Amino acid sequence: MSSMINRIWRPIKEGFKGVFRHGAMSFSSASAVTITLIIISLFLIFTANVRRFTLGLEQEVQIACMVDYDHESAEEEDRISLAIQALPGVKSVTYSSKADEFQYYIDSFDDESTKEAFEPFRESNPMHDAFYVEVDNNTNIEEIASQIEAIDGISKVRYGGAEAVKLIGALRSIRTVGGILAIALSLLAILLIQNTIKLTIQARADEIVIMRNVGAKNGFIRAPFVIEGILIGALGAIIPIILTYFGYRYLYNLTGGHVISDMFTLIEPIPFIYQISLLLLIIGMIVGLIGSYFSVSRYLRWKR
Amino acid sequence: MIECTHVFKRYKNGVNALYDINLKIDQGEFVYIIGPTGSGKSTLIKLLDGEEISTKGKVNVVGIDVGKLRHSKVPIYRRNIGVVFQDFRLLPTKTVFENIAYALEVIDMNKQVIRSRVRSVMNLVGLDDKGNAFPNELSGGQQQRVAIGRAIANRPKVLIADEPTGNLDPAMSDEIMSLLEKINAAYGTTILMVTHDLTLVNKHRKRTIVLEHGHIVADLAEGGYVQHDQ
Ligand SMILES: Nc1ncnc2c1ncn2[C@@H]1O[C@H](COP(=O)(O)OP(=O)(O)O)[C@@H](O)[C@H]1O
Ligand SMILES: [Mg+2]
Repeated sequence: MSSMINRIWRPIKEGFKGVFRHGAMSFSSASAVTITLIIISLFLIFTANVRRFTLGLEQEVQIACMVDYDHESAEEEDRISLAIQALPGVKSVTYSSKADEFQYYIDSFDDESTKEAFEPFRESNPMHDAFYVEVDNNTNIEEIASQIEAIDGISKVRYGGAEAVKLIGALRSIRTVGGILAIALSLLAILLIQNTIKLTIQARADEIVIMRNVGAKNGFIRAPFVIEGILIGALGAIIPIILTYFGYRYLYNLTGGHVISDMFTLIEPIPFIYQISLLLLIIGMIVGLIGSYFSVSRYLRWKR
Repeated sequence: MIECTHVFKRYKNGVNALYDINLKIDQGEFVYIIGPTGSGKSTLIKLLDGEEISTKGKVNVVGIDVGKLRHSKVPIYRRNIGVVFQDFRLLPTKTVFENIAYALEVIDMNKQVIRSRVRSVMNLVGLDDKGNAFPNELSGGQQQRVAIGRAIANRPKVLIADEPTGNLDPAMSDEIMSLLEKINAAYGTTILMVTHDLTLVNKHRKRTIVLEHGHIVADLAEGGYVQHDQ
Protein backbone atom coordinates (compact mmCIF):
# COMPACT_ATOMS: atom_id res chain seq x y z
CA MET A 1 0.00 0.00 0.00
CA SER A 2 2.70 2.46 0.94
CA SER A 3 4.66 1.18 -2.03
CA MET A 4 1.97 2.48 -4.37
CA ILE A 5 2.24 5.99 -2.93
CA ASN A 6 5.97 5.62 -2.98
CA ARG A 7 5.94 4.76 -6.65
CA ILE A 8 4.26 8.07 -7.44
CA TRP A 9 5.92 10.19 -4.81
CA ARG A 10 9.49 9.02 -5.23
CA PRO A 11 10.08 10.23 -8.81
CA ILE A 12 8.57 13.60 -7.95
CA LYS A 13 10.87 13.99 -4.98
CA GLU A 14 13.85 12.74 -6.95
CA GLY A 15 12.94 15.01 -9.87
CA PHE A 16 12.96 18.08 -7.63
CA LYS A 17 16.27 17.03 -6.09
CA GLY A 18 17.69 16.48 -9.56
CA VAL A 19 16.83 20.01 -10.66
CA PHE A 20 18.70 21.50 -7.73
CA ARG A 21 21.63 19.11 -7.64
CA HIS A 22 22.29 19.63 -11.33
CA GLY A 23 21.83 23.36 -10.92
CA ALA A 24 23.98 24.52 -13.82
CA MET A 25 22.46 22.07 -16.29
CA SER A 26 18.96 22.87 -15.13
CA PHE A 27 19.69 26.54 -15.58
CA SER A 28 20.94 26.16 -19.15
CA SER A 29 17.97 24.02 -20.16
CA ALA A 30 15.52 26.37 -18.47
CA SER A 31 17.11 29.33 -20.28
CA ALA A 32 16.52 27.69 -23.63
CA VAL A 33 12.89 27.19 -22.64
CA THR A 34 12.63 30.82 -21.51
CA ILE A 35 13.89 32.29 -24.77
CA THR A 36 11.58 30.05 -26.75
CA LEU A 37 8.53 30.83 -24.72
CA ILE A 38 9.12 34.58 -24.97
CA ILE A 39 9.10 34.26 -28.74
CA ILE A 40 6.02 32.06 -28.65
CA SER A 41 4.29 34.51 -26.32
CA LEU A 42 4.94 37.44 -28.67
CA PHE A 43 3.47 35.52 -31.57
CA LEU A 44 0.48 34.37 -29.58
CA ILE A 45 -0.32 37.93 -28.51
CA PHE A 46 0.21 39.25 -32.00
CA THR A 47 -1.90 36.71 -33.85
CA ALA A 48 -4.67 36.74 -31.24
CA ASN A 49 -5.00 40.52 -31.61
CA VAL A 50 -4.87 40.46 -35.38
CA ARG A 51 -7.60 37.89 -35.20
CA ARG A 52 -9.59 40.15 -32.94
CA PHE A 53 -9.24 43.04 -35.45
CA THR A 54 -10.46 40.83 -38.24
CA LEU A 55 -13.43 39.67 -36.24
CA GLY A 56 -14.35 43.24 -35.41
CA LEU A 57 -14.20 44.23 -39.04
CA GLU A 58 -16.11 41.22 -40.24
CA GLN A 59 -18.94 42.02 -37.87
CA GLU A 60 -19.33 45.38 -39.53
CA VAL A 61 -19.60 43.83 -42.90
CA GLN A 62 -22.89 42.34 -44.01
CA ILE A 63 -24.26 41.68 -47.43
CA ALA A 64 -27.49 43.37 -48.48
CA CYS A 65 -29.31 41.44 -51.23
CA MET A 66 -32.14 43.14 -53.15
CA VAL A 67 -34.95 41.03 -54.57
CA ASP A 68 -36.13 41.67 -58.16
CA TYR A 69 -39.54 43.36 -58.41
CA ASP A 70 -40.88 40.38 -60.35
CA HIS A 71 -39.78 37.82 -57.73
CA GLU A 72 -41.58 39.23 -54.71
CA SER A 73 -44.08 36.42 -54.17
CA ALA A 74 -43.84 34.56 -50.86
CA GLU A 75 -42.83 31.26 -52.57
CA GLU A 76 -40.12 32.96 -54.61
CA GLU A 77 -38.70 34.69 -51.57
CA ASP A 78 -38.73 31.46 -49.54
CA ARG A 79 -36.80 29.82 -52.33
CA ILE A 80 -34.26 32.67 -52.46
CA SER A 81 -33.86 32.64 -48.68
CA LEU A 82 -33.21 28.91 -48.66
CA ALA A 83 -30.77 29.22 -51.55
CA ILE A 84 -28.77 31.85 -49.67
CA GLN A 85 -28.79 29.84 -46.47
CA ALA A 86 -27.52 26.83 -48.36
CA LEU A 87 -24.32 28.64 -49.38
CA PRO A 88 -21.28 27.59 -47.37
CA GLY A 89 -20.07 30.35 -45.07
CA VAL A 90 -23.46 31.99 -44.55
CA LYS A 91 -24.14 32.49 -40.86
CA SER A 92 -27.57 34.09 -40.87
CA VAL A 93 -30.11 35.56 -43.24
CA THR A 94 -32.54 38.25 -42.12
CA TYR A 95 -35.51 39.29 -44.22
CA SER A 96 -36.62 42.88 -44.50
CA SER A 97 -39.73 43.74 -46.56
CA LYS A 98 -39.79 46.74 -48.89
CA ALA A 99 -42.19 48.45 -46.43
CA ASP A 100 -39.64 47.97 -43.65
CA GLU A 101 -36.94 49.26 -45.91
CA PHE A 102 -38.96 52.34 -46.73
CA GLN A 103 -39.64 53.03 -43.07
CA TYR A 104 -35.99 52.51 -42.24
CA TYR A 105 -35.04 54.93 -44.99
CA ILE A 106 -37.43 57.60 -43.79
CA ASP A 107 -36.32 57.13 -40.19
CA SER A 108 -32.77 57.80 -41.22
CA PHE A 109 -33.65 61.48 -41.68
CA ASP A 110 -33.81 63.75 -38.70
CA ASP A 111 -35.99 66.63 -39.80
CA GLU A 112 -39.72 66.23 -40.12
CA SER A 113 -39.99 68.15 -43.42
CA THR A 114 -37.80 65.68 -45.28
CA LYS A 115 -39.74 62.80 -43.83
CA GLU A 116 -42.96 64.53 -45.02
CA ALA A 117 -41.52 64.99 -48.47
CA PHE A 118 -41.06 61.22 -48.90
CA GLU A 119 -44.51 60.23 -47.68
CA PRO A 120 -46.19 60.40 -51.14
CA PHE A 121 -43.86 57.61 -52.33
CA ARG A 122 -45.05 55.15 -49.67
CA GLU A 123 -47.79 53.89 -51.99
CA SER A 124 -45.59 53.26 -55.01
CA ASN A 125 -42.67 52.18 -52.78
CA PRO A 126 -39.56 52.14 -54.94
CA MET A 127 -37.59 50.02 -52.42
CA HIS A 128 -36.80 46.34 -52.87
CA ASP A 129 -37.52 43.47 -50.52
CA ALA A 130 -34.13 42.60 -49.05
CA PHE A 131 -32.15 39.88 -47.34
CA TYR A 132 -29.34 40.82 -44.96
CA VAL A 133 -26.68 38.17 -44.84
CA GLU A 134 -24.07 37.70 -42.14
CA VAL A 135 -21.18 35.47 -43.01
CA ASP A 136 -19.03 33.24 -40.85
CA ASN A 137 -15.63 34.44 -39.74
CA ASN A 138 -12.87 33.59 -42.10
CA THR A 139 -15.06 33.47 -45.19
CA ASN A 140 -14.47 35.43 -48.30
CA ILE A 141 -17.22 38.06 -48.53
CA GLU A 142 -16.64 38.90 -52.18
CA GLU A 143 -17.01 35.30 -53.18
CA ILE A 144 -20.24 34.79 -51.26
CA ALA A 145 -21.64 38.06 -52.62
CA SER A 146 -21.08 36.97 -56.18
CA GLN A 147 -22.63 33.59 -55.45
CA ILE A 148 -25.72 35.30 -54.05
CA GLU A 149 -25.92 37.61 -57.01
CA ALA A 150 -26.10 34.60 -59.27
CA ILE A 151 -29.26 33.34 -57.55
CA ASP A 152 -32.32 33.79 -59.75
CA GLY A 153 -34.46 36.66 -58.43
CA ILE A 154 -31.70 38.70 -56.85
CA SER A 155 -31.35 42.05 -58.56
CA LYS A 156 -28.45 43.57 -56.71
CA VAL A 157 -25.98 42.83 -53.96
CA ARG A 158 -24.15 45.37 -51.83
CA TYR A 159 -21.68 44.83 -49.10
CA GLY A 160 -20.30 47.33 -46.66
CA GLY A 161 -17.04 49.05 -47.35
CA ALA A 162 -14.72 47.68 -49.99
CA GLU A 163 -11.97 49.13 -47.78
CA ALA A 164 -13.03 46.96 -44.88
CA VAL A 165 -13.09 43.92 -47.12
CA LYS A 166 -9.61 44.62 -48.41
CA LEU A 167 -8.36 45.15 -44.88
CA ILE A 168 -9.89 41.89 -43.75
CA GLY A 169 -8.07 40.18 -46.58
CA ALA A 170 -4.78 41.81 -45.61
CA LEU A 171 -5.21 40.94 -41.95
CA ARG A 172 -6.03 37.40 -42.90
CA SER A 173 -2.75 37.11 -44.79
CA ILE A 174 -0.85 38.66 -41.89
CA ARG A 175 -2.43 36.18 -39.57
CA THR A 176 -1.60 33.26 -41.81
CA VAL A 177 2.00 34.36 -42.17
CA GLY A 178 2.21 35.05 -38.44
CA GLY A 179 0.75 31.67 -37.65
CA ILE A 180 3.13 29.85 -39.94
CA LEU A 181 6.08 31.77 -38.52
CA ALA A 182 4.93 31.02 -34.99
CA ILE A 183 4.67 27.32 -35.70
CA ALA A 184 8.01 27.24 -37.50
CA LEU A 185 9.75 29.13 -34.71
CA SER A 186 8.13 26.95 -32.07
CA LEU A 187 9.32 23.82 -33.82
CA LEU A 188 12.80 25.25 -34.09
CA ALA A 189 12.70 26.20 -30.44
CA ILE A 190 11.46 22.78 -29.41
CA LEU A 191 14.38 21.26 -31.30
CA LEU A 192 16.72 23.63 -29.48
CA ILE A 193 15.29 22.69 -26.11
CA GLN A 194 15.26 19.01 -26.94
CA ASN A 195 18.89 19.31 -27.89
CA THR A 196 19.84 21.09 -24.69
CA ILE A 197 18.05 18.49 -22.60
CA LYS A 198 19.67 15.76 -24.65
CA LEU A 199 23.09 17.22 -23.94
CA THR A 200 22.44 17.45 -20.23
CA ILE A 201 21.25 13.88 -20.16
CA GLN A 202 24.20 12.74 -22.24
CA ALA A 203 26.38 14.24 -19.53
CA ARG A 204 24.52 11.97 -17.16
CA ALA A 205 24.74 8.84 -19.29
CA ASP A 206 27.13 7.42 -16.70
CA GLU A 207 24.49 7.83 -14.04
CA ILE A 208 21.98 5.97 -16.18
CA VAL A 209 24.43 3.09 -16.66
CA ILE A 210 25.11 2.94 -12.94
CA MET A 211 21.40 2.89 -12.19
CA ARG A 212 20.90 -0.06 -14.50
CA ASN A 213 23.94 -1.78 -12.99
CA VAL A 214 22.40 -1.49 -9.56
CA GLY A 215 19.18 -3.13 -10.75
CA ALA A 216 16.89 -0.22 -11.62
CA LYS A 217 14.31 -0.94 -14.28
CA ASN A 218 13.91 1.53 -17.13
CA GLY A 219 10.74 3.10 -15.78
CA PHE A 220 12.37 3.59 -12.40
CA ILE A 221 15.31 5.38 -14.02
CA ARG A 222 13.21 7.37 -16.44
CA ALA A 223 10.53 8.76 -14.16
CA PRO A 224 12.70 11.19 -12.15
CA PHE A 225 14.37 12.45 -15.32
CA VAL A 226 10.98 13.12 -16.89
CA ILE A 227 9.75 14.93 -13.79
CA GLU A 228 12.96 16.92 -13.88
CA GLY A 229 12.29 17.84 -17.51
CA ILE A 230 8.75 18.95 -16.70
CA LEU A 231 10.01 21.04 -13.79
CA ILE A 232 12.68 22.67 -15.92
CA GLY A 233 10.01 23.46 -18.51
CA ALA A 234 7.85 25.02 -15.82
CA LEU A 235 10.77 27.00 -14.38
CA GLY A 236 11.63 28.21 -17.87
CA ALA A 237 8.07 29.52 -18.24
CA ILE A 238 8.28 31.83 -15.22
CA ILE A 239 10.02 34.77 -16.86
CA PRO A 240 7.94 34.62 -20.07
CA ILE A 241 4.79 34.58 -17.96
CA ILE A 242 5.90 37.58 -15.92
CA LEU A 243 6.86 39.46 -19.08
CA THR A 244 3.55 38.62 -20.71
CA TYR A 245 1.56 39.55 -17.64
CA PHE A 246 3.07 42.96 -17.08
CA GLY A 247 4.12 43.68 -20.65
CA TYR A 248 0.68 43.20 -22.15
CA ARG A 249 -1.06 45.19 -19.44
CA TYR A 250 1.45 47.98 -19.97
CA LEU A 251 0.84 47.92 -23.73
CA TYR A 252 -2.90 47.96 -23.20
CA ASN A 253 -2.82 50.90 -20.84
CA LEU A 254 -0.34 52.77 -22.99
CA THR A 255 -2.54 52.54 -26.08
CA GLY A 256 -5.82 52.86 -24.20
CA GLY A 257 -6.86 49.59 -25.79
CA HIS A 258 -6.78 50.91 -29.34
CA VAL A 259 -4.19 50.96 -32.06
CA ILE A 260 -4.18 53.30 -35.05
CA SER A 261 -7.93 53.93 -34.96
CA ASP A 262 -10.93 53.04 -32.85
CA MET A 263 -11.62 50.21 -35.23
CA PHE A 264 -8.69 48.21 -33.86
CA THR A 265 -9.41 47.32 -30.28
CA LEU A 266 -6.90 45.22 -28.36
CA ILE A 267 -8.04 42.19 -26.43
CA GLU A 268 -8.74 43.09 -22.80
CA PRO A 269 -5.82 41.95 -20.60
CA ILE A 270 -8.02 39.90 -18.27
CA PRO A 271 -8.49 36.99 -18.81
CA PHE A 272 -6.33 37.08 -21.94
CA ILE A 273 -3.01 37.21 -20.08
CA TYR A 274 -4.09 34.38 -17.82
CA GLN A 275 -4.90 32.25 -20.84
CA ILE A 276 -1.57 33.05 -22.49
CA SER A 277 0.29 32.38 -19.24
CA LEU A 278 -1.39 29.03 -18.79
CA LEU A 279 -0.62 28.16 -22.38
CA LEU A 280 3.06 29.09 -21.93
CA LEU A 281 3.28 26.99 -18.77
CA ILE A 282 1.70 24.02 -20.49
CA ILE A 283 3.93 24.35 -23.56
CA GLY A 284 7.01 24.58 -21.34
CA MET A 285 6.06 21.51 -19.36
CA ILE A 286 5.13 19.44 -22.39
CA VAL A 287 8.35 20.32 -24.17
CA GLY A 288 10.29 19.40 -21.01
CA LEU A 289 8.44 16.13 -20.74
CA ILE A 290 8.89 15.12 -24.37
CA GLY A 291 12.52 16.25 -24.48
CA SER A 292 13.56 14.37 -21.38
CA TYR A 293 11.51 11.28 -22.14
CA PHE A 294 13.09 10.72 -25.53
CA SER A 295 16.59 11.61 -24.39
CA VAL A 296 16.55 9.15 -21.49
CA SER A 297 14.86 6.46 -23.51
CA ARG A 298 17.53 6.64 -26.15
CA TYR A 299 20.16 5.97 -23.51
CA LEU A 300 18.23 3.19 -21.91
CA ARG A 301 17.74 1.38 -25.18
CA TRP A 302 21.32 0.60 -25.98
CA LYS A 303 22.75 0.16 -22.50
CA ARG A 304 22.45 -3.41 -21.35
CA MET B 1 26.33 -20.74 -8.20
CA ILE B 2 28.42 -19.57 -11.15
CA GLU B 3 28.94 -21.85 -14.11
CA CYS B 4 30.45 -21.18 -17.51
CA THR B 5 30.44 -23.96 -20.08
CA HIS B 6 32.41 -23.63 -23.32
CA VAL B 7 32.07 -19.85 -23.32
CA PHE B 8 33.52 -17.86 -26.20
CA LYS B 9 33.37 -14.10 -26.61
CA ARG B 10 34.11 -12.28 -29.81
CA TYR B 11 33.41 -8.54 -29.89
CA LYS B 12 31.69 -6.88 -32.84
CA ASN B 13 34.99 -5.42 -34.01
CA GLY B 14 36.35 -8.95 -34.42
CA VAL B 15 38.46 -9.13 -31.25
CA ASN B 16 38.35 -12.55 -29.65
CA ALA B 17 38.39 -11.90 -25.92
CA LEU B 18 37.60 -15.33 -24.47
CA TYR B 19 38.08 -18.90 -25.70
CA ASP B 20 36.33 -21.98 -24.35
CA ILE B 21 35.98 -20.87 -20.75
CA ASN B 22 34.81 -23.62 -18.39
CA LEU B 23 34.35 -22.58 -14.83
CA LYS B 24 32.41 -23.67 -11.78
CA ILE B 25 32.26 -21.67 -8.57
CA ASP B 26 30.30 -22.88 -5.56
CA GLN B 27 28.21 -20.99 -3.03
CA GLY B 28 30.39 -19.22 -0.47
CA GLU B 29 33.65 -19.45 -2.41
CA PHE B 30 36.09 -16.55 -2.69
CA VAL B 31 37.88 -16.68 -6.02
CA TYR B 32 40.46 -14.45 -7.69
CA ILE B 33 40.71 -13.99 -11.42
CA ILE B 34 44.12 -12.76 -12.41
CA GLY B 35 45.96 -12.20 -15.65
CA PRO B 36 47.70 -9.48 -17.64
CA THR B 37 45.89 -6.49 -19.16
CA GLY B 38 43.84 -7.51 -22.17
CA SER B 39 43.60 -11.16 -21.10
CA GLY B 40 39.78 -11.00 -20.92
CA LYS B 41 39.14 -10.55 -17.19
CA SER B 42 36.71 -7.66 -17.58
CA THR B 43 35.02 -9.42 -20.48
CA LEU B 44 34.35 -12.39 -18.22
CA ILE B 45 32.84 -10.05 -15.61
CA LYS B 46 30.65 -8.42 -18.27
CA LEU B 47 29.36 -11.81 -19.34
CA LEU B 48 28.53 -12.60 -15.73
CA ASP B 49 26.68 -9.33 -14.99
CA GLY B 50 24.77 -9.37 -18.28
CA GLU B 51 26.47 -6.36 -19.89
CA GLU B 52 27.71 -8.52 -22.75
CA ILE B 53 26.39 -11.74 -24.24
CA SER B 54 28.64 -14.70 -24.97
CA THR B 55 29.14 -15.59 -28.62
CA LYS B 56 29.02 -19.30 -27.82
CA GLY B 57 28.48 -21.34 -24.68
CA LYS B 58 26.38 -20.86 -21.62
CA VAL B 59 26.78 -18.52 -18.65
CA ASN B 60 24.71 -19.49 -15.63
CA VAL B 61 24.62 -17.44 -12.44
CA VAL B 62 22.33 -18.21 -9.47
CA GLY B 63 20.41 -20.54 -11.75
CA ILE B 64 19.78 -17.90 -14.42
CA ASP B 65 20.95 -18.28 -18.02
CA VAL B 66 22.44 -14.79 -18.27
CA GLY B 67 22.94 -14.80 -22.03
CA LYS B 68 19.25 -15.45 -22.63
CA LEU B 69 18.02 -12.50 -20.57
CA ARG B 70 15.79 -10.03 -22.35
CA HIS B 71 16.87 -6.40 -22.19
CA SER B 72 14.07 -5.52 -19.78
CA LYS B 73 14.96 -8.39 -17.44
CA VAL B 74 18.63 -7.50 -17.07
CA PRO B 75 18.06 -5.05 -14.18
CA ILE B 76 15.97 -7.60 -12.34
CA TYR B 77 18.71 -10.19 -12.73
CA ARG B 78 21.25 -7.68 -11.39
CA ARG B 79 19.44 -7.61 -8.08
CA ASN B 80 20.80 -11.10 -7.48
CA ILE B 81 24.39 -10.03 -7.83
CA GLY B 82 26.43 -7.16 -6.51
CA VAL B 83 29.00 -5.61 -8.82
CA VAL B 84 31.93 -3.42 -7.84
CA PHE B 85 34.24 -1.66 -10.29
CA GLN B 86 37.66 -0.12 -10.21
CA ASP B 87 36.18 3.35 -10.78
CA PHE B 88 33.61 2.99 -7.95
CA ARG B 89 30.66 4.14 -10.11
CA LEU B 90 28.81 6.01 -7.41
CA LEU B 91 26.01 8.40 -8.34
CA PRO B 92 27.80 11.74 -8.04
CA THR B 93 24.79 13.82 -7.02
CA LYS B 94 23.61 11.42 -4.36
CA THR B 95 24.94 11.21 -0.83
CA VAL B 96 26.54 8.08 0.60
CA PHE B 97 23.28 7.21 2.30
CA GLU B 98 21.28 7.76 -0.91
CA ASN B 99 23.74 5.76 -3.01
CA ILE B 100 23.38 2.73 -0.80
CA ALA B 101 19.63 3.23 -0.42
CA TYR B 102 19.23 3.36 -4.21
CA ALA B 103 19.97 -0.36 -4.54
CA LEU B 104 17.15 -1.02 -2.08
CA GLU B 105 14.71 1.47 -3.55
CA VAL B 106 14.86 -0.32 -6.88
CA ILE B 107 13.45 -3.44 -5.23
CA ASP B 108 10.71 -1.34 -3.67
CA MET B 109 11.78 -2.08 -0.11
CA ASN B 110 9.91 -0.41 2.71
CA LYS B 111 11.40 2.95 3.71
CA GLN B 112 11.93 2.09 7.37
CA VAL B 113 13.64 -1.15 6.42
CA ILE B 114 15.83 0.73 3.94
CA ARG B 115 16.89 3.19 6.61
CA SER B 116 17.96 0.57 9.12
CA ARG B 117 19.56 -1.60 6.43
CA VAL B 118 21.61 1.31 5.07
CA ARG B 119 22.77 2.16 8.60
CA SER B 120 23.91 -1.38 9.24
CA VAL B 121 25.68 -1.49 5.87
CA MET B 122 27.44 1.82 6.58
CA ASN B 123 28.52 0.36 9.88
CA LEU B 124 29.80 -2.81 8.20
CA VAL B 125 31.90 -0.86 5.70
CA GLY B 126 33.09 1.50 8.41
CA LEU B 127 31.45 4.72 7.21
CA ASP B 128 29.00 5.36 10.05
CA ASP B 129 29.49 9.10 10.02
CA LYS B 130 29.62 9.68 6.25
CA GLY B 131 25.94 9.28 5.40
CA ASN B 132 25.47 12.87 4.24
CA ALA B 133 28.76 13.16 2.37
CA PHE B 134 28.82 13.26 -1.41
CA PRO B 135 31.19 10.87 -3.22
CA ASN B 136 33.62 13.61 -4.23
CA GLU B 137 34.13 14.46 -0.57
CA LEU B 138 35.50 10.99 0.14
CA SER B 139 38.87 9.33 -0.42
CA GLY B 140 39.17 6.58 -3.02
CA GLY B 141 39.17 3.88 -0.37
CA GLN B 142 36.06 5.32 1.24
CA GLN B 143 34.30 5.58 -2.11
CA GLN B 144 35.08 1.95 -2.83
CA ARG B 145 33.69 0.98 0.55
CA VAL B 146 30.47 2.82 -0.31
CA ALA B 147 30.35 0.96 -3.63
CA ILE B 148 30.82 -2.36 -1.83
CA GLY B 149 28.17 -1.36 0.69
CA ARG B 150 25.76 -0.61 -2.12
CA ALA B 151 26.58 -3.88 -3.87
CA ILE B 152 25.81 -6.00 -0.81
CA ALA B 153 22.97 -3.93 0.65
CA ASN B 154 20.26 -6.26 -0.62
CA ARG B 155 22.26 -9.34 0.48
CA PRO B 156 23.00 -10.76 -2.97
CA LYS B 157 24.31 -14.32 -3.23
CA VAL B 158 27.16 -13.24 -5.49
CA LEU B 159 29.51 -10.29 -5.38
CA ILE B 160 31.60 -9.61 -8.46
CA ALA B 161 34.44 -7.11 -8.27
CA ASP B 162 36.48 -5.92 -11.25
CA GLU B 163 39.82 -4.69 -9.90
CA PRO B 164 38.26 -3.10 -6.81
CA THR B 165 41.68 -2.11 -5.51
CA GLY B 166 43.04 -0.94 -8.86
CA ASN B 167 42.88 2.72 -7.96
CA LEU B 168 43.94 2.35 -4.34
CA ASP B 169 47.27 2.37 -2.50
CA PRO B 170 48.43 -0.88 -0.81
CA ALA B 171 47.18 0.04 2.65
CA MET B 172 43.71 0.86 1.36
CA SER B 173 43.74 -2.25 -0.81
CA ASP B 174 44.38 -4.32 2.28
CA GLU B 175 41.44 -2.68 4.01
CA ILE B 176 39.16 -3.47 1.08
CA MET B 177 40.41 -7.08 1.07
CA SER B 178 39.59 -7.43 4.75
CA LEU B 179 36.15 -5.99 4.15
CA LEU B 180 35.48 -8.46 1.33
CA GLU B 181 36.69 -11.35 3.51
CA LYS B 182 34.42 -10.14 6.29
CA ILE B 183 31.42 -10.11 3.92
CA ASN B 184 32.33 -13.55 2.59
CA ALA B 185 32.48 -14.94 6.11
CA ALA B 186 29.48 -13.11 7.57
CA TYR B 187 26.91 -13.68 4.81
CA GLY B 188 28.41 -16.59 2.90
CA THR B 189 28.43 -14.35 -0.18
CA THR B 190 30.17 -15.90 -3.17
CA ILE B 191 32.91 -13.49 -4.18
CA LEU B 192 34.62 -13.31 -7.54
CA MET B 193 37.37 -10.74 -7.62
CA VAL B 194 39.40 -9.66 -10.62
CA THR B 195 42.78 -8.24 -9.77
CA HIS B 196 46.30 -7.93 -11.07
CA ASP B 197 47.71 -7.12 -7.68
CA LEU B 198 49.89 -10.20 -7.10
CA THR B 199 51.01 -9.04 -3.68
CA LEU B 200 47.40 -9.17 -2.58
CA VAL B 201 46.86 -12.57 -4.20
CA ASN B 202 49.89 -14.02 -2.48
CA LYS B 203 49.05 -12.47 0.88
CA HIS B 204 45.36 -13.36 1.10
CA ARG B 205 45.43 -16.81 -0.44
CA LYS B 206 42.29 -18.03 -2.21
CA ARG B 207 41.37 -20.14 -5.18
CA THR B 208 42.95 -18.35 -8.15
CA ILE B 209 41.96 -18.59 -11.80
CA VAL B 210 44.56 -17.37 -14.26
CA LEU B 211 43.57 -15.92 -17.66
CA GLU B 212 45.97 -15.35 -20.51
CA HIS B 213 44.98 -14.28 -24.03
CA GLY B 214 41.42 -15.29 -23.30
CA HIS B 215 42.25 -18.79 -22.08
CA ILE B 216 42.13 -20.17 -18.56
CA VAL B 217 45.71 -21.29 -18.08
CA ALA B 218 45.53 -22.25 -14.41
CA ASP B 219 43.00 -22.81 -11.67
CA LEU B 220 44.86 -23.03 -8.39
CA ALA B 221 42.62 -24.31 -5.63
CA GLU B 222 45.03 -23.40 -2.83
CA GLY B 223 45.92 -20.03 -4.33
CA GLY B 224 49.16 -18.15 -4.52
CA TYR B 225 50.64 -17.35 -7.90
CA VAL B 226 54.09 -16.61 -9.16
CA GLN B 227 54.35 -14.91 -12.49
CA HIS B 228 56.49 -17.28 -14.58
CA ASP B 229 58.10 -14.74 -16.92
CA GLN B 230 59.45 -12.70 -14.03
N1 LIG C 1 33.73 -3.34 -25.90
C1 LIG C 1 34.76 -3.92 -26.54
N2 LIG C 1 34.77 -3.94 -27.89
C2 LIG C 1 35.79 -4.50 -28.54
N3 LIG C 1 36.85 -5.08 -27.96
C3 LIG C 1 36.91 -5.08 -26.61
C4 LIG C 1 35.86 -4.49 -25.83
N4 LIG C 1 36.18 -4.63 -24.53
C5 LIG C 1 37.36 -5.28 -24.49
N5 LIG C 1 37.81 -5.55 -25.74
C6 LIG C 1 39.02 -6.28 -26.10
O1 LIG C 1 38.93 -7.57 -25.55
C7 LIG C 1 40.17 -7.98 -25.01
C8 LIG C 1 40.02 -8.29 -23.53
O2 LIG C 1 39.73 -7.09 -22.82
P1 LIG C 1 39.35 -7.06 -21.30
O3 LIG C 1 38.34 -8.09 -21.04
O4 LIG C 1 39.00 -5.67 -20.96
O5 LIG C 1 40.73 -7.45 -20.62
P2 LIG C 1 41.26 -7.19 -19.13
O6 LIG C 1 40.13 -6.75 -18.30
O7 LIG C 1 41.84 -8.50 -18.73
O8 LIG C 1 42.31 -6.14 -19.25
C9 LIG C 1 41.14 -6.84 -25.27
O9 LIG C 1 41.85 -7.15 -26.44
C10 LIG C 1 40.26 -5.66 -25.49
O10 LIG C 1 40.85 -4.75 -26.36
MG1 LIG D 1 39.86 -4.97 -17.13
